[in-house]
Amino acid sequence: MSTKVKQPSLFHWWLKLRSPLFWSRRPNSERVMLRLPTVGRALAGAAKSSLAPSNTVRTSVQAASNMVEVFVDGKPVEVEPGTTVLQACEKVGVQIPRFCYHERLSVAGNCRMCLVEIEKAPKPVAACAMPVMKGWNILTNSEKTRKAREGVMEFLLANHPLDCPICDQGGECDLQDQSMQFGSDRSRFTERKRAVEDKNIGPLIKTIMTRCIQCTRCVRFASEIAGVEDLGTTGRGNNLQIGTYVEKMFMSELSGNVIDVCPVGALTSKPYAFTARPWETRKTESIDVMDAVGSNIIVSTRGGEVMRVMPRLNEDVNEEWISDKTRFSYDGLKRQRLTQPMVKDGSGQLTATTWEDALTRVAGALQSVQGSEVAAIAGGLADAEALVSLKDLLNRLDSENLCTEEVFPMEGAGTDLRSNYLLNSRIAGIEDCDLLLLIGTNPRYEAPMFNARVRKSWLHNELQVAMVGQSVDLSYTYDHLGEETSVLKELADGTHPFCQVLSAAKRPVVVVGSSALQREDGAAILGAVSTIAQNARTSSGVEEGWKVLNVLHRVASQVAALDLGYKAGVDAIRKNPPKVLFLLGADAGCITRADLPKDSLIIYQGHHGDVGATMADIILPGAAYTEKNATYVNTEGRSQHTRVAVTAPGMAREDWKIIRAVSDLAGVALPYDTVDEVRARLEEVSPNLVRYDDIQEANYFKQANELAQAVNQDLIASPLVPPQLTVKDFYMTDSISRASQTMAKCVKAVTEGAAAVDEPSIC
Amino acid sequence: MASGAATRAAAGAAKVVKPFLSRDLDEAKRRVRELYRAWYREVPSSVAIFQLDITTRQGRDKVREMFDKNKHVTDPRVIDMLVIKGKMELEETINIWKQKTHIMRYFQETEEPRPTDFLSKFYRGHDS
Amino acid sequence: MLSLSRAVVSGVVRSPAAVSQAGVTAITRFNSTAQTAPKKTTFGPLADEDRIFTNLYGRHDWRLNGALKRGDWYKTKEILLNGVDWILNEIKVSGLRGRGGAGFPTGMKWSFMNKPSDGRPKYLVVNADEGEPGTCKDREIMRHDPHKLVEGCLIAGKAMGARAAYIYIRGEFYNESSNLQVAINEAYAAGLIGKNSCGSGYDFDVFVMRGAGAYICGEETALIESLEGKQGKPRLKPPFPADVGAFGCPTTVANVETVSVAPTICRRGGSWFLGFGRERNSGTKLFNISGHVNTPCTVEEEMSIPLKELIERHAGGVRGGWDNLLAVIPGGSSTPLIPKSVCEDVLMDFDGLVQAQTGLGTAALIVMDKSTDIIRAIARLIEFYKHESCGQCTPCREGVDWMNDMMWRFVRGDARQAEIDMIWEISKQIEGHTICALGDGAAWPVQGLIRHFRPVMENRISEYQQQARA
Repeated sequence: MSTKVKQPSLFHWWLKLRSPLFWSRRPNSERVMLRLPTVGRALAGAAKSSLAPSNTVRTSVQAASNMVEVFVDGKPVEVEPGTTVLQACEKVGVQIPRFCYHERLSVAGNCRMCLVEIEKAPKPVAACAMPVMKGWNILTNSEKTRKAREGVMEFLLANHPLDCPICDQGGECDLQDQSMQFGSDRSRFTERKRAVEDKNIGPLIKTIMTRCIQCTRCVRFASEIAGVEDLGTTGRGNNLQIGTYVEKMFMSELSGNVIDVCPVGALTSKPYAFTARPWETRKTESIDVMDAVGSNIIVSTRGGEVMRVMPRLNEDVNEEWISDKTRFSYDGLKRQRLTQPMVKDGSGQLTATTWEDALTRVAGALQSVQGSEVAAIAGGLADAEALVSLKDLLNRLDSENLCTEEVFPMEGAGTDLRSNYLLNSRIAGIEDCDLLLLIGTNPRYEAPMFNARVRKSWLHNELQVAMVGQSVDLSYTYDHLGEETSVLKELADGTHPFCQVLSAAKRPVVVVGSSALQREDGAAILGAVSTIAQNARTSSGVEEGWKVLNVLHRVASQVAALDLGYKAGVDAIRKNPPKVLFLLGADAGCITRADLPKDSLIIYQGHHGDVGATMADIILPGAAYTEKNATYVNTEGRSQHTRVAVTAPGMAREDWKIIRAVSDLAGVALPYDTVDEVRARLEEVSPNLVRYDDIQEANYFKQANELAQAVNQDLIASPLVPPQLTVKDFYMTDSISRASQTMAKCVKAVTEGAAAVDEPSIC
Repeated sequence: MASGAATRAAAGAAKVVKPFLSRDLDEAKRRVRELYRAWYREVPSSVAIFQLDITTRQGRDKVREMFDKNKHVTDPRVIDMLVIKGKMELEETINIWKQKTHIMRYFQETEEPRPTDFLSKFYRGHDS
Repeated sequence: MLSLSRAVVSGVVRSPAAVSQAGVTAITRFNSTAQTAPKKTTFGPLADEDRIFTNLYGRHDWRLNGALKRGDWYKTKEILLNGVDWILNEIKVSGLRGRGGAGFPTGMKWSFMNKPSDGRPKYLVVNADEGEPGTCKDREIMRHDPHKLVEGCLIAGKAMGARAAYIYIRGEFYNESSNLQVAINEAYAAGLIGKNSCGSGYDFDVFVMRGAGAYICGEETALIESLEGKQGKPRLKPPFPADVGAFGCPTTVANVETVSVAPTICRRGGSWFLGFGRERNSGTKLFNISGHVNTPCTVEEEMSIPLKELIERHAGGVRGGWDNLLAVIPGGSSTPLIPKSVCEDVLMDFDGLVQAQTGLGTAALIVMDKSTDIIRAIARLIEFYKHESCGQCTPCREGVDWMNDMMWRFVRGDARQAEIDMIWEISKQIEGHTICALGDGAAWPVQGLIRHFRPVMENRISEYQQQARA
């Protein structure tokens, strides 16, 4: 026995268990990890699939001979061993009622709503947790099952306030639906009801804790998906409460998802409170543009107003979560909007005018100068349609000065090879890799959904993460290799101790943040990263299709702009100031008045009165992402399109139409009148832009690396510091979120505590 | 165009087709005159009752214009039909089944032709 | 020799037809020549030489010297060297059933751990979180005979190949835990446990972990959670602790008494232990008698002793005579009570009490005489369960609280007759629908009350209504 204890792998694991670090990072609710630790999981393959059902990663399809035959209400069904009763029932289309079970969270089994009778078993079993055994007959609608459900439902409703008429969950409440379906038609409860004090957990989530049914979904979400141990249970028995232990803000960039996860109205959206009912809103499937991930969203609107934003399922991108910025910055769409064309009058004041006037002026300005004296800068929220129209317009005027605000090194392969600037491994691909090296990025705030995927893989697949750059809290542990660029050099040379680990990895992935490439030595960094990636790929011996080098962008427009041939960075404009500068939603402030000659004309087209609009001579009001049918390409190179949820306010128009109108007046009419025709043009330029929800492979890493070697640039010694370090930097990053009051409240709550933004509760 | 064809057909088949109300064109014209007189008399009271921002004179001119619009019609059956419709309009006006906006529609065409070229559509609004 | 005795035992177990009705001596010893053993019909009293816990009352030294004098740690090395199979076989032969309340056959439970190792260490966890109202048997063991437990840990640990034993002791047992720690320290110093325990080459550690006084931490999975430093909330089963237990490793949770009797069984032979009590309910057992008796006590007795004899002989009889008896809760607070009529002839063992629609539980008798307000007594128990419910799963969290509110109304009589059926239904809605057995334990006392004392409840209600009318 004792000899076995000394086996190296086990000993390692044993040490890990004993170390306080292990417990501090995985306390309490991490039952997945605890119940099936490394060794056990590797062996107990059957149990694994039951605990991480949605985790398709590394779950090889079982051979047919392994299948277990069970019966659901007498209907035979073949399932993999380790499938839970609930999943087996779902396979034949029988829905088992549940509250605590959530397929992306660990199984808690505490609501007891999913109790079903198994033929010949003495007690009903919790379907969500019980693996099926061969030959079981699951009775999903027997007398005993129905009685058990009715009993549980009666208990749940006993202390539930039944304030559905004033509850924001009303109409989309699991408890409401299931009590209608499975509950009794009358109540026997005549005792006093429990009341629980509400907690202030920040400006985003409203708590009405009396409604809580203690399913602990939110607790499990916080500790498993979000990776913060902020939520937990206190007290016991009937006094069990969900909360943050001490009153504080639920500090997570994914906190809004607990609203969706909560099956009752205990956790609801604070900004959305009492504003709309689910049945009176119109739901439009769309795409988020707050970061470069392109989370799939549903925009709920009522009467031309965005009421809320909810996540939409896309396993490849955001699963069913979205970040708080995506979810709550929609109130920014109603503020600071540009609603009518404006021109600067004689006194230098911007005054409202008509479209005819504004467009004529723009066209006149464009016609009055040489083509080369016209330049355009595209901002982070520009869509592909607008980008292609703008490019066509300027090209027709003989100008090639089109660039993006975001910098990308143009030396070496630059943006000529598509694989150079994409997140080639894809977001879902992170689940297949075993070693992730992050360079100069803070994915937690630059791309929260990407970070959630990394955490998922770290938690379930033993993903090892390492980072070069300033040390930040990523919600998982990683090896911090240092923040100096010299580390990159050593890694590229193979002299760094971590190279051993890197070369031992079977499926390595290297991700460099776009902010690291904004530096003056961006090309050198990209070259070094490319070498590291190339070395790792050679040493791992991974198959040809596996991609190592990845770039994580931060803005939604960048990939489409580079695909369309925009130059990255405004250096050219700074060096060669144009007479007419066209800003397409450029709000990052890369170019200021001071960079341009006095007599130059600035035209700003965009939807918010932000940095760009204040320095403009002519303002053309455009549409925000909820107001147009527009194509965006995310950091993976996946093109997706938004849909019109509401009409653009005032006289604002869809962006490509404005440019098309300008072209008409400037005498170089663009050959497209409808969005389909624009997309046909997009396809001409770059077919991948209109292959929606599809990713075109890009695989020229070797060539890119060779070209990068030719670059003669040295790394600068200054450390790699991503721009968003803490959650405070996360909320306000673009013109929409900067205009959002909710986001401003978040920043205030983060800096001054949740109590600082406490509003008197109405209910 | 269509009415012209109808007239020709009616002239050719005047004997065959059963009359509608009027036996001949004269009788039809008499009905038109009666209707016109009724409208003519009604205009002042309508202007008062509906509190229209027009003068009686303008109203009567409009009545005349509406009648003149159909003066090319010669088929007694078509005239009868138009007279019946005119009577219905009149009845609705007298009984105030109509509202002010319905009356004013005689004076202003609300539907504008939709633009077809891109720029006009752009100026017009979001969805054209 | 080994296989022979096993064959004999199994022969006995399998052939109930071959039971002779003739009276036999209280102690039956099997030997190789006896083909069938005659079945016993009378049980108890236990002879002094057959007592396992010889220092139950603390009259002797509880430390290592005293323990050695009483025969603890005698030839422990030999027992260990006899091997896993031998120990398991002795335990199986003895017919020992878990003493914590559920009565699961111990030999079988321990043998679950003998699956081929997957590299994880295995653990023995000893449940010393004795919180069941009325129960105080483990306390006596740890107070006065801690070496029995330590030695039991070693032997049980050997039987299941455990690397270490964790003794999770109730927080309130301060003196007991310090006695236990002293005993463990002595055993370490004497080389009895630790590296190369008793010179057998087997490495075994024993740790004491003090709980914080939650009743629910006596549930095995909640105990493991608590041991791991988390909130003491029961886990879902499966996976069972034998697959994934403490710190993710295979674990067996055993009661203090179960573990403590193991060394003696191994020394005196499983068949000796089997000689006590009825078939399938063999052995000796610590009984706690409390309540309205003249001399409340903890006593080791033979299993299957008649309840009446147990009370009369050891507890000095019911206060005011046997006829003054109202009801007895026979197995700790969570078992349903039985009225006097049933008490007359019921035998104190697992099967006998199940037949009487109750259970042996921890064998803690709570005796109530006719001065008891039985409704109030049960209501107080439900209040206890309400207070101790962990709040994890719905039926227990909501249901027990509801029952508690109703029970206190029943105490006053402020209820309707129909509500008696309602609380019965509610208790049935809790029973069997929860993660752990606490829900069952809370439901049973109410069910027992309604089963046997429904007229009392009805009277109370009509009295209250009359008073209200007046």
